[in-house]
Amino acid sequence: MSDGPGGSAPGSRPPYLARTDRERLMEAVVRVAAEKGYAAIAVADVCAAAGLPEAEFERHFPSKEACFLAAYEAVSDVLAAHVAAAYEGAAGERWPDRIVAGLRALLELLAAESEIARVAILEVSSFGEDARIRYSRALERFVPFLEEGREYSAESGELPPDTAQFAIGGAAAMIFDEIRGGRGRELPAILPGLTYAVLMPYLGAEAAEAEMARLS
Amino acid sequence: MLSVVGAEGYADASVQDALERADAYRQAFYDNFTGKLDCYLQAYDAGVEEIEASILAATRDSVGWRDELRAGLGAALAHLDAEPDVGRALIVEVHAAGREATRRRDAVVQRFGAYLRQATLGGNGNAAPTIAPEAVAAGIHSVLHSRLANREDGNLHELLPEFMYIAVLPYHGVDAARAELEGGP
Repeated sequence: MSDGPGGSAPGSRPPYLARTDRERLMEAVVRVAAEKGYAAIAVADVCAAAGLPEAEFERHFPSKEACFLAAYEAVSDVLAAHVAAAYEGAAGERWPDRIVAGLRALLELLAAESEIARVAILEVSSFGEDARIRYSRALERFVPFLEEGREYSAESGELPPDTAQFAIGGAAAMIFDEIRGGRGRELPAILPGLTYAVLMPYLGAEAAEAEMARLS
Repeated sequence: MLSVVGAEGYADASVQDALERADAYRQAFYDNFTGKLDCYLQAYDAGVEEIEASILAATRDSVGWRDELRAGLGAALAHLDAEPDVGRALIVEVHAAGREATRRRDAVVQRFGAYLRQATLGGNGNAAPTIAPEAVAAGIHSVLHSRLANREDGNLHELLPEFMYIAVLPYHGVDAARAELEGGP
């Protein structure tokens, strides 16, 4: 798991640590794609970076795309588990505080792995249907945490059905903007604004602003 | 081109498909476009322009930003309901068409955010944080994206009360937002 802020500092263990050959290949495809751009890399580059023969690649993956998508899913799993752990770790606290804990964990891990995050966001969107479904599934994992806000909210029961989607969509757009703008490493700085974007659909503007003000 | 891309997906859509759909000759295509991407990008701009024109037409007589937004969003949703494949080509498949396409898409969402910012400036509502218009624009866009990507289209206009709810919430509070959810004033 992440070492928290500055988790990518020299000597620290990355949150996504490759162990098996399959994982080494998945780690390599992301690293090489980050350097050269996904379109420009070949299976041979991935194997060279992983220090494995191409026969080994073929044993695990039918194509470069399959390998990259597997890596994407593994990274999503790590992210989701990391956020869930932070949210559950704050059990007993107010719902907005638990959401902040989850968002902080998300931003810190994305910042520590900003190269992977950049590749995942820039490249996967060009993969078409399959990648899009994986992306939607990754985001859906956060819905249950958000929907607990219906009970916390004074407006409970009267919120629109797509409230979680408004919150997630707004948050994802903010994070993407930072990553695409090359500010991935400074992601934790957007925590107050991100908190507002996620809480506002559930709590309304004034309460969301108050939560944002507590952070800045 | 947009119909084909929306139906088949950008990656699978071919120039041949577009020619058949448009009942046009290959020569005519290459007289006008350098290839599939060029054609898609020009069609993207034209498709966005068409929706923006329908929004402008619908909002000509609106009074106040809530009225204007309701009419404008309503026109855009009606447009997407009439041509869901075009909507999918513009909102979903744009991500598959490379960085220039994504750049244009970002500009459209930013324009919507900037419109909201401008529209709500002179309002008598709360002073919402500067982050609000972007969050609202991105939230609305994300719901549309998900519906179109999952082919849950054809009745997108039913989303209008929800969209108005989320747009009004940061500026006029919960009661005004709920009034929008229940069908507008």
